[in-house]
Amino acid sequence: MSLSTYTTTSGFLLPSIHSAPPFFTEQPNPTTQATATAQWSRLILAYARHKKLFILRVEDVETSGSDWDEILRNTRINRKILPGYLSNIMEAMVAQNLAVYEPVKQTRSVLVYWRLPEEWAEVLYDWVISTGQLNTILTFYDITDPPLESLLTGIPISLLRKAISILSKTGRSQTIAIADGEGVRFLARSK
Amino acid sequence: MGANQSLPKITAQDKAILDLKLQRDKLKQYQKKIHAVLDREHAIAKSQIAAGQKDRALIALRRRKYQQTLLTKTDQQLENLEQLVSTIEFSLVEVSVVHGLKQGNEVLKEIHKEMNLESVEKLLEETAEAREYQREISDMLANTLTLDDEDAVQNELLALEEAEKEIHPEISLPSVPEQQPVHVVTEGIHQCCYLVSSVSFIISTPDRKPAGTQKVAIAG
Repeated sequence: MSLSTYTTTSGFLLPSIHSAPPFFTEQPNPTTQATATAQWSRLILAYARHKKLFILRVEDVETSGSDWDEILRNTRINRKILPGYLSNIMEAMVAQNLAVYEPVKQTRSVLVYWRLPEEWAEVLYDWVISTGQLNTILTFYDITDPPLESLLTGIPISLLRKAISILSKTGRSQTIAIADGEGVRFLARSK
Repeated sequence: MGANQSLPKITAQDKAILDLKLQRDKLKQYQKKIHAVLDREHAIAKSQIAAGQKDRALIALRRRKYQQTLLTKTDQQLENLEQLVSTIEFSLVEVSVVHGLKQGNEVLKEIHKEMNLESVEKLLEETAEAREYQREISDMLANTLTLDDEDAVQNELLALEEAEKEIHPEISLPSVPEQQPVHVVTEGIHQCCYLVSSVSFIISTPDRKPAGTQKVAIAG
Protein backbone atom coordinates (compact mmCIF):
# COMPACT_ATOMS: atom_id res chain seq x y z
CA MET A 1 0.00 0.00 0.00
CA SER A 2 1.62 3.21 -1.09
CA LEU A 3 0.36 6.51 0.21
CA SER A 4 0.97 9.77 -1.52
CA THR A 5 0.21 13.41 -0.94
CA TYR A 6 -2.69 14.93 -2.79
CA THR A 7 -3.38 18.49 -3.85
CA THR A 8 -7.00 19.52 -3.44
CA THR A 9 -8.93 21.75 -5.82
CA SER A 10 -8.32 24.71 -3.51
CA GLY A 11 -4.58 24.11 -3.79
CA PHE A 12 -4.07 22.58 -0.36
CA LEU A 13 -1.49 19.81 -0.15
CA LEU A 14 -2.89 16.96 1.90
CA PRO A 15 -0.31 14.85 3.74
CA SER A 16 0.06 11.24 2.70
CA ILE A 17 -1.45 10.02 5.97
CA HIS A 18 -4.74 11.53 4.80
CA SER A 19 -4.96 8.70 2.25
CA ALA A 20 -4.69 6.03 4.94
CA PRO A 21 -8.10 4.61 5.93
CA PRO A 22 -7.15 4.07 9.62
CA PHE A 23 -6.50 7.79 9.94
CA PHE A 24 -10.26 8.34 9.90
CA THR A 25 -11.13 6.06 12.81
CA GLU A 26 -10.07 6.14 16.43
CA GLN A 27 -7.31 3.74 17.33
CA PRO A 28 -7.52 1.53 20.40
CA ASN A 29 -3.82 1.95 21.19
CA PRO A 30 -3.44 5.20 23.17
CA THR A 31 0.04 5.95 21.78
CA THR A 32 -1.10 5.51 18.21
CA GLN A 33 -4.18 7.55 18.99
CA ALA A 34 -2.12 10.39 20.47
CA THR A 35 0.00 10.57 17.30
CA ALA A 36 -3.11 10.54 15.12
CA THR A 37 -4.70 13.32 17.16
CA ALA A 38 -1.56 15.42 16.85
CA GLN A 39 -1.58 14.81 13.09
CA TRP A 40 -5.23 15.81 12.88
CA SER A 41 -4.83 19.00 14.85
CA ARG A 42 -1.86 19.98 12.73
CA LEU A 43 -3.86 19.26 9.59
CA ILE A 44 -6.84 21.25 10.84
CA LEU A 45 -4.66 24.26 11.72
CA ALA A 46 -2.84 24.17 8.38
CA TYR A 47 -6.08 23.91 6.43
CA ALA A 48 -7.72 26.68 8.45
CA ARG A 49 -4.74 28.91 7.71
CA HIS A 50 -4.91 27.98 4.03
CA LYS A 51 -8.59 28.83 3.65
CA LYS A 52 -8.82 31.43 6.44
CA LEU A 53 -11.40 29.43 8.35
CA PHE A 54 -12.15 30.24 11.96
CA ILE A 55 -14.98 28.04 13.14
CA LEU A 56 -14.98 24.25 13.08
CA ARG A 57 -18.21 22.47 14.00
CA VAL A 58 -18.83 18.82 14.69
CA GLU A 59 -21.70 18.94 12.23
CA ASP A 60 -19.27 19.94 9.44
CA VAL A 61 -18.60 16.20 9.17
CA GLU A 62 -22.19 15.46 8.29
CA THR A 63 -23.03 18.29 5.93
CA SER A 64 -21.42 17.80 2.58
CA GLY A 65 -20.21 20.93 0.88
CA SER A 66 -18.98 22.53 4.09
CA ASP A 67 -15.75 24.52 4.13
CA TRP A 68 -13.94 21.66 5.78
CA ASP A 69 -14.98 18.97 3.29
CA GLU A 70 -11.55 18.58 1.75
CA ILE A 71 -9.95 17.36 4.97
CA LEU A 72 -12.82 15.81 6.89
CA ARG A 73 -13.62 13.51 3.99
CA ASN A 74 -11.55 11.55 1.57
CA THR A 75 -13.74 10.40 -1.29
CA ARG A 76 -10.82 8.69 -3.02
CA ILE A 77 -10.73 6.05 -0.29
CA ASN A 78 -14.38 6.53 0.66
CA ARG A 79 -13.71 7.62 4.25
CA LYS A 80 -14.87 10.41 6.47
CA ILE A 81 -14.08 11.20 10.06
CA LEU A 82 -16.80 10.29 12.54
CA PRO A 83 -18.42 13.08 14.60
CA GLY A 84 -17.40 11.52 17.90
CA TYR A 85 -13.78 11.33 16.81
CA LEU A 86 -13.77 14.93 15.63
CA SER A 87 -15.30 15.98 18.92
CA ASN A 88 -12.44 14.26 20.76
CA ILE A 89 -9.86 15.95 18.55
CA MET A 90 -11.50 19.29 19.25
CA GLU A 91 -11.29 18.59 22.96
CA ALA A 92 -7.58 17.81 22.64
CA MET A 93 -7.01 21.03 20.67
CA VAL A 94 -8.80 23.09 23.30
CA ALA A 95 -6.66 21.44 25.99
CA GLN A 96 -3.51 22.49 24.10
CA ASN A 97 -4.75 26.05 23.55
CA LEU A 98 -4.88 25.49 19.79
CA ALA A 99 -8.57 26.29 19.85
CA VAL A 100 -11.33 27.47 22.17
CA TYR A 101 -14.95 26.55 22.35
CA GLU A 102 -16.91 29.23 20.58
CA PRO A 103 -19.41 30.08 21.95
CA VAL A 104 -18.32 28.94 25.38
CA LYS A 105 -20.15 26.37 27.45
CA GLN A 106 -20.71 23.89 24.63
CA THR A 107 -18.50 21.39 22.86
CA ARG A 108 -19.95 21.32 19.35
CA SER A 109 -17.94 24.09 17.74
CA VAL A 110 -14.52 25.59 18.23
CA LEU A 111 -12.68 28.72 17.16
CA VAL A 112 -9.44 27.50 15.65
CA TYR A 113 -6.30 29.36 16.68
CA TRP A 114 -4.09 29.13 13.62
CA ARG A 115 -2.82 32.40 14.97
CA LEU A 116 -2.78 32.87 18.71
CA PRO A 117 -4.64 35.93 20.03
CA GLU A 118 -1.25 37.52 20.80
CA GLU A 119 -0.25 37.06 17.15
CA TRP A 120 -3.57 38.41 15.98
CA ALA A 121 -2.99 41.45 18.17
CA GLU A 122 0.23 42.17 16.29
CA VAL A 123 -1.42 41.57 12.91
CA LEU A 124 -4.18 43.96 13.89
CA TYR A 125 -1.77 46.62 15.08
CA ASP A 126 0.36 46.33 11.93
CA TRP A 127 -2.75 46.68 9.80
CA VAL A 128 -3.82 49.80 11.69
CA ILE A 129 -0.40 51.35 11.19
CA SER A 130 -0.12 50.41 7.53
CA THR A 131 -3.54 51.92 6.81
CA GLY A 132 -2.75 55.04 8.81
CA GLN A 133 -5.59 54.63 11.25
CA LEU A 134 -3.81 55.38 14.48
CA ASN A 135 -5.85 57.70 16.71
CA THR A 136 -8.88 57.13 14.52
CA ILE A 137 -11.98 55.72 16.08
CA LEU A 138 -12.89 52.46 14.39
CA THR A 139 -15.93 50.30 14.77
CA PHE A 140 -15.54 46.53 14.87
CA TYR A 141 -17.29 46.41 11.53
CA ASP A 142 -14.57 48.66 10.10
CA ILE A 143 -12.03 46.02 11.04
CA THR A 144 -13.88 42.85 10.11
CA ASP A 145 -15.36 44.19 6.86
CA PRO A 146 -12.97 46.76 5.40
CA PRO A 147 -13.75 47.99 1.87
CA LEU A 148 -10.53 46.34 0.73
CA GLU A 149 -9.99 42.82 1.93
CA SER A 150 -7.32 42.63 4.59
CA LEU A 151 -5.75 39.93 6.73
CA LEU A 152 -8.45 40.64 9.27
CA THR A 153 -11.44 40.30 6.99
CA GLY A 154 -13.95 37.97 8.57
CA ILE A 155 -12.19 37.64 11.91
CA PRO A 156 -14.74 36.63 14.56
CA ILE A 157 -15.66 39.43 16.94
CA SER A 158 -14.72 37.36 19.99
CA LEU A 159 -11.20 36.85 18.67
CA LEU A 160 -10.98 40.52 17.72
CA ARG A 161 -11.98 41.49 21.25
CA LYS A 162 -9.21 39.31 22.65
CA ALA A 163 -6.64 40.88 20.35
CA ILE A 164 -7.82 44.37 21.29
CA SER A 165 -7.66 43.62 24.99
CA ILE A 166 -4.11 42.31 24.54
CA LEU A 167 -3.16 45.57 22.84
CA SER A 168 -4.83 47.58 25.59
CA LYS A 169 -2.54 45.96 28.16
CA THR A 170 0.39 47.69 26.50
CA GLY A 171 -1.51 50.93 26.08
CA ARG A 172 -1.93 50.52 22.35
CA SER A 173 -5.70 50.40 22.21
CA GLN A 174 -8.62 51.95 23.95
CA THR A 175 -12.18 50.74 23.72
CA ILE A 176 -14.99 53.25 23.62
CA ALA A 177 -18.46 52.11 24.48
CA ILE A 178 -21.68 53.98 23.90
CA ALA A 179 -25.29 52.94 24.12
CA ASP A 180 -25.39 51.89 20.47
CA GLY A 181 -22.28 49.76 20.37
CA GLU A 182 -18.55 49.73 20.76
CA GLY A 183 -15.56 51.19 19.03
CA VAL A 184 -11.85 51.11 19.44
CA ARG A 185 -9.06 53.59 19.04
CA PHE A 186 -5.48 52.51 18.46
CA LEU A 187 -2.66 54.56 19.87
CA ALA A 188 0.96 54.90 19.07
CA ARG A 189 3.25 52.72 21.14
CA SER A 190 3.86 54.65 24.34
CA LYS A 191 7.58 54.58 24.75
CA MET B 1 3.94 50.19 32.80
CA GLY B 2 2.10 53.39 33.52
CA ALA B 3 0.45 53.03 30.15
CA ASN B 4 -2.97 53.70 31.54
CA GLN B 5 -2.16 57.26 32.45
CA SER B 6 -1.14 58.08 28.91
CA LEU B 7 -4.47 57.03 27.43
CA PRO B 8 -6.33 60.02 26.08
CA LYS B 9 -9.69 60.82 27.56
CA ILE B 10 -12.78 59.79 25.70
CA THR B 11 -14.46 63.03 24.83
CA ALA B 12 -17.99 63.73 23.72
CA GLN B 13 -16.59 64.26 20.23
CA ASP B 14 -15.17 60.76 20.21
CA LYS B 15 -18.51 59.38 21.20
CA ALA B 16 -20.28 61.37 18.53
CA ILE B 17 -17.87 60.10 15.87
CA LEU B 18 -18.30 56.55 17.05
CA ASP B 19 -22.06 56.97 16.96
CA LEU B 20 -21.93 58.22 13.39
CA LYS B 21 -19.68 55.37 12.35
CA LEU B 22 -21.97 52.83 13.96
CA GLN B 23 -24.87 54.33 12.05
CA ARG B 24 -22.83 54.02 8.89
CA ASP B 25 -22.16 50.36 9.66
CA LYS B 26 -25.86 49.79 10.14
CA LEU B 27 -26.57 51.32 6.75
CA LYS B 28 -23.92 49.11 5.19
CA GLN B 29 -25.45 46.06 6.78
CA TYR B 30 -28.86 47.18 5.59
CA GLN B 31 -27.51 47.39 2.06
CA LYS B 32 -26.19 43.87 2.38
CA LYS B 33 -29.65 42.77 3.38
CA ILE B 34 -31.22 44.52 0.38
CA HIS B 35 -28.76 42.81 -1.91
CA ALA B 36 -29.82 39.48 -0.46
CA VAL B 37 -33.48 40.40 -0.97
CA LEU B 38 -32.78 41.40 -4.57
CA ASP B 39 -31.21 38.04 -5.26
CA ARG B 40 -34.08 36.25 -3.56
CA GLU B 41 -36.77 38.08 -5.52
CA HIS B 42 -34.90 37.38 -8.71
CA ALA B 43 -34.81 33.69 -7.89
CA ILE B 44 -38.53 33.74 -7.02
CA ALA B 45 -39.40 35.42 -10.32
CA LYS B 46 -37.36 32.86 -12.18
CA SER B 47 -39.02 29.90 -10.52
CA GLN B 48 -42.49 31.40 -11.04
CA ILE B 49 -41.80 31.83 -14.74
CA ALA B 50 -40.59 28.26 -14.90
CA ALA B 51 -43.84 27.22 -13.22
CA GLY B 52 -45.79 29.25 -15.76
CA GLN B 53 -47.19 31.78 -13.28
CA LYS B 54 -46.44 34.99 -15.07
CA ASP B 55 -48.40 37.32 -12.78
CA ARG B 56 -46.63 35.98 -9.67
CA ALA B 57 -43.29 36.55 -11.38
CA LEU B 58 -44.35 40.09 -12.19
CA ILE B 59 -45.16 40.79 -8.55
CA ALA B 60 -41.77 39.49 -7.49
CA LEU B 61 -40.08 41.70 -10.06
CA ARG B 62 -42.05 44.73 -8.85
CA ARG B 63 -40.95 44.07 -5.29
CA ARG B 64 -37.42 43.78 -6.56
CA LYS B 65 -37.65 47.12 -8.32
CA TYR B 66 -38.89 48.77 -5.14
CA GLN B 67 -35.98 47.35 -3.17
CA GLN B 68 -33.64 48.70 -5.82
CA THR B 69 -34.95 52.24 -5.29
CA LEU B 70 -34.38 51.75 -1.56
CA LEU B 71 -30.83 50.75 -2.31
CA THR B 72 -30.10 53.93 -4.22
CA LYS B 73 -31.65 55.97 -1.40
CA THR B 74 -29.49 54.30 1.21
CA ASP B 75 -26.51 54.94 -1.02
CA GLN B 76 -27.19 58.64 -0.84
CA GLN B 77 -27.65 58.52 2.93
CA LEU B 78 -24.46 56.57 3.27
CA GLU B 79 -22.64 59.19 1.26
CA ASN B 80 -24.00 61.93 3.51
CA LEU B 81 -22.93 60.10 6.62
CA GLU B 82 -19.49 59.37 5.31
CA GLN B 83 -19.03 62.97 4.26
CA LEU B 84 -20.02 64.11 7.72
CA VAL B 85 -17.61 61.69 9.35
CA SER B 86 -14.79 62.78 7.06
CA THR B 87 -15.54 66.43 7.70
CA ILE B 88 -15.47 65.91 11.44
CA GLU B 89 -12.23 63.99 11.28
CA PHE B 90 -10.70 66.62 9.07
CA SER B 91 -11.78 69.40 11.43
CA LEU B 92 -10.14 67.50 14.27
CA VAL B 93 -6.94 67.50 12.26
CA GLU B 94 -7.36 71.21 11.69
CA VAL B 95 -7.87 71.76 15.41
CA SER B 96 -4.63 69.97 16.17
CA VAL B 97 -2.85 71.99 13.47
CA VAL B 98 -4.13 75.23 15.02
CA HIS B 99 -3.07 73.99 18.43
CA GLY B 100 0.41 73.28 17.08
CA LEU B 101 0.58 76.72 15.50
CA LYS B 102 -0.48 78.31 18.78
CA GLN B 103 2.21 76.52 20.73
CA GLY B 104 4.83 77.37 18.16
CA ASN B 105 3.78 80.99 18.30
CA GLU B 106 4.08 81.07 22.07
CA VAL B 107 7.52 79.55 22.01
CA LEU B 108 8.57 82.12 19.45
CA LYS B 109 7.19 84.89 21.62
CA GLU B 110 9.14 83.72 24.62
CA ILE B 111 12.30 83.54 22.62
CA HIS B 112 11.72 87.06 21.38
CA LYS B 113 11.17 88.24 24.92
CA GLU B 114 14.70 87.24 25.79
CA MET B 115 16.00 88.80 22.62
CA ASN B 116 14.50 92.30 22.26
CA LEU B 117 15.90 94.78 19.78
CA GLU B 118 17.55 97.07 22.33
CA SER B 119 19.57 94.34 23.92
CA VAL B 120 20.69 93.05 20.54
CA GLU B 121 21.76 96.55 19.54
CA LYS B 122 23.63 96.95 22.77
CA LEU B 123 25.24 93.59 22.33
CA LEU B 124 26.40 94.41 18.81
CA GLU B 125 27.79 97.75 20.01
CA GLU B 126 29.71 96.07 22.73
CA THR B 127 31.10 93.56 20.32
CA ALA B 128 32.26 96.32 17.98
CA GLU B 129 33.93 98.10 20.88
CA ALA B 130 35.67 94.98 21.97
CA ARG B 131 36.94 94.40 18.46
CA GLU B 132 38.24 97.94 18.24
CA TYR B 133 40.02 97.50 21.53
CA GLN B 134 41.59 94.28 20.30
CA ARG B 135 42.79 96.01 17.13
CA GLU B 136 44.39 98.79 19.12
CA ILE B 137 46.23 96.30 21.24
CA SER B 138 47.60 94.42 18.27
CA ASP B 139 48.61 97.71 16.61
CA MET B 140 50.46 98.68 19.70
CA LEU B 141 52.28 95.38 19.78
CA ALA B 142 53.18 95.61 16.09
CA ASN B 143 54.55 99.13 16.54
CA THR B 144 57.10 97.96 19.09
CA LEU B 145 59.30 96.82 16.19
CA THR B 146 61.62 99.70 15.24
CA LEU B 147 62.74 100.43 11.66
CA ASP B 148 66.15 98.90 12.36
CA ASP B 149 64.56 95.74 13.52
CA GLU B 150 62.43 95.64 10.39
CA ASP B 151 65.59 95.97 8.21
CA ALA B 152 67.24 93.18 10.11
CA VAL B 153 64.25 90.97 9.47
CA GLN B 154 64.33 91.77 5.76
CA ASN B 155 68.02 90.95 5.59
CA GLU B 156 67.46 87.68 7.31
CA LEU B 157 64.83 86.76 4.76
CA LEU B 158 67.22 87.58 1.88
CA ALA B 159 69.95 85.50 3.44
CA LEU B 160 67.61 82.54 3.75
CA GLU B 161 66.65 82.86 0.10
CA GLU B 162 70.33 82.91 -0.92
CA ALA B 163 71.05 79.83 1.11
CA GLU B 164 68.17 78.05 -0.56
CA LYS B 165 69.57 78.89 -4.00
CA GLU B 166 72.98 77.47 -3.11
CA ILE B 167 71.55 74.18 -1.99
CA HIS B 168 69.42 73.76 -5.10
CA PRO B 169 71.21 75.45 -8.03
CA GLU B 170 69.09 75.99 -11.09
CA ILE B 171 69.30 73.10 -13.56
CA SER B 172 69.60 74.04 -17.21
CA LEU B 173 67.72 71.59 -19.37
CA PRO B 174 68.06 71.30 -23.16
CA SER B 175 65.28 72.94 -25.06
CA VAL B 176 62.84 71.16 -27.37
CA PRO B 177 64.03 71.02 -31.02
CA GLU B 178 62.40 73.74 -33.06
CA GLN B 179 62.42 71.97 -36.45
CA GLN B 180 60.02 69.21 -37.44
CA PRO B 181 61.79 65.93 -38.05
CA VAL B 182 61.86 65.11 -41.79
CA HIS B 183 60.54 61.70 -42.86
CA VAL B 184 62.13 60.50 -46.05
CA VAL B 185 60.94 57.26 -47.65
CA THR B 186 63.17 55.65 -50.26
CA GLU B 187 62.46 52.65 -52.42
CA GLY B 188 65.31 50.62 -51.07
CA ILE B 189 64.05 50.79 -47.48
CA HIS B 190 61.83 47.71 -47.85
CA GLN B 191 64.60 45.50 -49.10
CA CYS B 192 66.90 46.32 -46.27
CA CYS B 193 64.49 46.16 -43.40
CA TYR B 194 66.70 43.58 -41.78
CA LEU B 195 69.38 46.21 -41.72
CA VAL B 196 67.16 48.47 -39.64
CA SER B 197 66.58 45.79 -37.07
CA SER B 198 70.22 44.85 -36.94
CA VAL B 199 71.40 48.41 -36.44
CA SER B 200 68.57 49.44 -34.14
CA PHE B 201 71.09 50.00 -31.38
CA ILE B 202 71.92 53.23 -33.15
CA ILE B 203 68.49 54.57 -32.24
CA SER B 204 69.12 54.10 -28.57
CA THR B 205 72.38 56.01 -28.56
CA PRO B 206 72.10 59.31 -26.73
CA ASP B 207 73.63 61.70 -29.33
CA ARG B 208 71.54 60.54 -32.20
CA LYS B 209 70.83 62.47 -35.31
CA PRO B 210 67.30 63.36 -36.42
CA ALA B 211 65.40 60.26 -37.51
CA GLY B 212 65.12 61.27 -41.15
CA THR B 213 68.84 61.50 -41.86
CA GLN B 214 69.48 58.34 -39.98
CA LYS B 215 67.05 56.35 -42.13
CA VAL B 216 68.57 57.77 -45.27
CA ALA B 217 71.97 56.64 -44.12
CA ILE B 218 70.74 53.07 -43.53
CA ALA B 219 68.97 52.91 -46.88
CA GLY B 220 72.14 53.97 -48.64
